[in-house]
Amino acid sequence: MTSDKKPVLALFYCQNTHASGEDERQALEQKYGDSLKLFPIPCSGRLEPLHLLKALEDFADAGYVITCPEGACRYFEGNLRAKKRVERTREMIKSIGLEEERIGFLINSKEGPKPLTDLADEIMDRLANLPPSPVLGPSVQGRATGSRQRSKGDKV
Amino acid sequence: MPSKYMIHTKQTPHRFKAVTESGIIAWEEGCLKCAVCVKKGCVYGVYEDRGLDTRQMMDSIDNQCMNCLRCVQGCPKELIHKSVNPEYKAIGDSYWTPDIVAKLWYQAETGKIPVSGAGYPGPFSGPGFDSMWTDMSEIVRPTRDGIHGREYISTAIDLGKTPNHLTFNENGDLERDLHPLIDIPLPIIMRNPDFGSLSEETLKGWAMAARGLGTFMALPGNMITEALEDFRSSLMPLIGPGPQEIDKGNGAIRLLEVPWSEGWEKAVDMARQQSSSAQVSIRLPLHEGVEKKVISLVASGISIIHLEATPHGRATDHASLFLKDGIRSVHQALVEEGIRDGMTLLASGGLSMAEHVAKSIICGADGVMVDFPILIALECRMCRRCTKGLSCPVEIEAAPSSWVASRVINLVGAWQNQLLEMMGAMGIRDVRRLRGEVGRAMFFEELDRTTFESMGKVEEGCELE
Ligand code: SF4
Ligand code: SF4
Repeated sequence: MTSDKKPVLALFYCQNTHASGEDERQALEQKYGDSLKLFPIPCSGRLEPLHLLKALEDFADAGYVITCPEGACRYFEGNLRAKKRVERTREMIKSIGLEEERIGFLINSKEGPKPLTDLADEIMDRLANLPPSPVLGPSVQGRATGSRQRSKGDKV
Repeated sequence: MPSKYMIHTKQTPHRFKAVTESGIIAWEEGCLKCAVCVKKGCVYGVYEDRGLDTRQMMDSIDNQCMNCLRCVQGCPKELIHKSVNPEYKAIGDSYWTPDIVAKLWYQAETGKIPVSGAGYPGPFSGPGFDSMWTDMSEIVRPTRDGIHGREYISTAIDLGKTPNHLTFNENGDLERDLHPLIDIPLPIIMRNPDFGSLSEETLKGWAMAARGLGTFMALPGNMITEALEDFRSSLMPLIGPGPQEIDKGNGAIRLLEVPWSEGWEKAVDMARQQSSSAQVSIRLPLHEGVEKKVISLVASGISIIHLEATPHGRATDHASLFLKDGIRSVHQALVEEGIRDGMTLLASGGLSMAEHVAKSIICGADGVMVDFPILIALECRMCRRCTKGLSCPVEIEAAPSSWVASRVINLVGAWQNQLLEMMGAMGIRDVRRLRGEVGRAMFFEELDRTTFESMGKVEEGCELE
C-alpha cells in the first residue's frame, strides 16, 4: 500500500445531528470520496462497541461517533450510553496495542449546534496524520472501496 | 382461444440488505437479567441469530423485526425502543416515497403483491392518481381460482392502428397493412429510466425480461450495443435527433420511437428508411393543450402516441396538471373527433404502483410505459448519487443480467397480477375494454363538485354555528 493513502473513517452520527440530511451526506461523500463512510443511526445509543470494532476489522482506520449534546437526547440517555461504550471500546483497542485515537466521539455543542459537515471536517482534520491501521493488512485495504462482496451478515 | 398468458415469478433475494422502516434501540446497561428475557419471546426469533452486515452497518434485528412491539412493551426496565430508521427516511423524494420504493422492492423480490393487513390506513384522497378510486363491486366476480385459473382474462393490447374495414385487391386477396398491429400480452412496456448506475449487464437483464414477458424495452438507440443484438425484436429504440443510430437492414426492430419536434415528419421519414417495417411511436411531452397536437398527429397518419409526463407524473409546463387528467382529456378529444380507434395511446411518467396501470387505462390510455420501477426493482434507492458521480450504494452496475431479469419479471408479474384482480373485481375480461371506462372509477374532484356545489360557495373564514 502506498503511504499517501488517506485514512478511512467510519463515521456514525445520530439522525438528530444538526443539518445531517441526505444532501449534506452526499456533499460529504463528494468531498471525501472513499475515505469517509457515513452511517446515520437512529440514536447514538444505538451504537454498540461491535459496530466500531467491526468497522476497524473490515475497512476503517478509525471509527467515530457524533452524539447530541448532553441532556438533548431524544431517548434521554442514548448519548451518555454511547459515550461510555466508546470509552470502553477505546480501552479495548488500547489494550491490544492500537492507537486509541482510532476510536472516538464528538459531542455536538448545546449552545451552537454545528452542522454535520463541520463536525466531519473536524474529525477528518484530526485524523489527517493517522498511520494506516495495522489491522488492515495490504491485502484487505481494497475493502474500503466497498468492492468486497459480502451477502450474509457475520455472526455476532 | 389463445393459450393463457402467465408470468412465472420466482423468489429472487436482494443482493444488499433492504433498508427497513424502523430500527431497534436496545440498551444493555441497567438490564435486570430476568430469568426469561422478553427478547426470548420474540415469535420471529429476531434476537436469536443476530448478524451485522459491515458493508452497510446493518443489524439483522432491524431487517427481521416485524414491528409487533412485544419486546418494547414487555421489558420491565423499558430498555428496548423502536425508532424511525434515518436511512429509510432518506430514500427517494416527495413522490417516490420510501413506502412506494419499499413496496416495489418487495414485489421484485417475491413477485407478490404486498398485503398490508385489514383496513386502509392512508389518507382518503390525494393528488394525481390518489384522487381516483376504482370500482371493484362486481357482484358476480369470478372466484380467485377463476381469475388465476379457469377464467380467461386477457391483458393483451394492440399497438398500432386497428383497420376500420378490410380491403381486397382485384384478385380478391386481402390487402395487408404495411405496418401490421403488434400484439403484446400485457399493457406494459419497459423504458430506460432517466438515471441509474447501469452497465451492459443491466440493459441485457432488462432486455431479457422484455423478451421473457413478450413486451418491449425502450431505450436510446445508441445504447443498443452488440450485447443486445439478440434482443432486437424486443427492443424499442428511441431515435434521437440527428443521424440515426440503428443500422440499416435490421429487420428485427419492430417498434421505434421518435421524439416530437417541429420537424417530426422528417425524423419519422428517416426512421422509416432505416426500418421500413417498424411501427413508429411519437413521444409527446404532456403539456397544456396537448390534445390538438395529438389530433393533428393522428390525422397525419401517426398511429402510436406516447404521452410523457415528468417523473412526478405531471405536465412539463403546469405542475397542477396530472398525467391522469392529461390522459383523460386526450382520450376524450380523440373520441370526439371519432379517431380514437385509429391509434394507440401510451402513457408514462410517475407510474409508481401497480394500480397506476389500471388507472391510466381507465382514464383512456391503451397501455403504459414504466421506467423507474424497473430500476427500483434492482434495489435502487432513488438517491441520485449516480447523477453526481458518486458510487451507487447498491452497486446496480455489478448485478448479473439473470438477476436483473428475474427481479423485473417478478415486479411486472406482481403488477399484472394486480391488474387481473382489479379487472376480475370489475367484471371485465379484456383490458382493451377497460380503456376509457371512467364509469369504473370515481374521481374525487367530480364527487366533490356534484355533492357540494349546490350548497353554494363557502366564504373564506366562514365558521359553522
Ligand atoms: S418488536 Fe416484535 S418482532 Fe420486533 S424484535 Fe420485538 S418482539 Fe421481535
Ligand atoms: S441507488 Fe442511487 S446511485 Fe444507485 S442507481 Fe439508484 S439513484 Fe443511482
